[in-house]
Amino acid sequence: MTEQERFSPEAHRYLDGEGANGLDHAEREAADRLDRMLQDYAASLKAPGAEVDRAVMAAIAPETQRTSISIWSWLIQPHLFTVRPALVAAAAIALVAVGALTFDLTDFRGGIPDTTTLETPQTILVRFELRAPEAEDVTIAGSFNDWSPEEIRLAKNATTGVWTATVPLPPGEHQYLFVIDGSQWIPDPSAHAQVDDGFGQANSVIVVGPRGVVRS
Amino acid sequence: MGSQSDAVLVHRILDGQVELFQVLVERYRSEFGRYATAMLGGDTDDAADALQEAFIRAYRSLAACRDPERFKAWLFRIVSNQCHNTRRARRGHVSLDRVEEPEDTAARQRVEDCEAGQMIEEALQQLTAEQREAFVLKHVEGYSYAEMAGLLHVGEDALKMRVHRARDELRRKLEGLR
Repeated sequence: MTEQERFSPEAHRYLDGEGANGLDHAEREAADRLDRMLQDYAASLKAPGAEVDRAVMAAIAPETQRTSISIWSWLIQPHLFTVRPALVAAAAIALVAVGALTFDLTDFRGGIPDTTTLETPQTILVRFELRAPEAEDVTIAGSFNDWSPEEIRLAKNATTGVWTATVPLPPGEHQYLFVIDGSQWIPDPSAHAQVDDGFGQANSVIVVGPRGVVRS
Repeated sequence: MGSQSDAVLVHRILDGQVELFQVLVERYRSEFGRYATAMLGGDTDDAADALQEAFIRAYRSLAACRDPERFKAWLFRIVSNQCHNTRRARRGHVSLDRVEEPEDTAARQRVEDCEAGQMIEEALQQLTAEQREAFVLKHVEGYSYAEMAGLLHVGEDALKMRVHRARDELRRKLEGLR
């Protein structure tokens, strides 16, 4: 690209809305021409219409109803349970553990009260691991946390050099990367699938089902 | 209902008022829809499909939106990823032929009617994904660099660089056609 084909810094500032200081006449004409073209182009673009609203709501309503109905149906149906005395104590301990887990998950979701357990999506605990003995800090960023590299920090086993974190995830497909020392974003070498992130890099993919990890 | 903040709506949806998700869809359909249309070469059918898929994914992952105050940025990331996925999937089937011999749809025709639109659209397809995204947000959506930084988690200087390179590329194509 020649200098004539590039805009000067002054022209870029002008197109950024920062004034025309130091901009010569010919460059200003070229900048104005491009600006007009861009305005025409933006005006010509049409956003999808209300059919998207209808399709989205039609897609999410049945699955919500289906989940609610199936769980509710199971709850109101008579069921035959065989109870062995030896299991009663274990069941009591498990109930206490489930109670504690529910409290932790509510806390993880930013204090949103989990008052509609029949209709809100389930959350599955997923354990992530990465062997990085030289790393000082490892976090995980993904579609499940707005790709924030600050929020989910893995803990290091000093003996093995393996970093781990257990993350509550809703069922569905999630993409993620590990972030080493705050700057190096790498895919999970043990992930079952990697997808192109559109920027020439790969994201790892994990698929979580209602009963656990389907594919990772 | 429409005046409620995103965060309030997200909390109420997670509390079981699923129908309120439509308020969020209506709130962002137009803004993110234009973005999707520009990212997908002016094809409103592809844009509608991508947007629909993105909203459904967002609903299914809503419990993972840990900062509902920043729902818009969270949703944008999902829409952006879906557009990239759609582009990738489409590339395997129609590649550049689609850019040069577009389908005869009304939306497509409207873009072609705009003399500038055809050239800009072709030039956009030749930019990197990062440049195209930044350019569309700046010049189609009219975002400030600060707003773009909030959506993309990228510094303003880096975003300016992407937009400037995209502009230079457009100018180069423009000069080539004159």
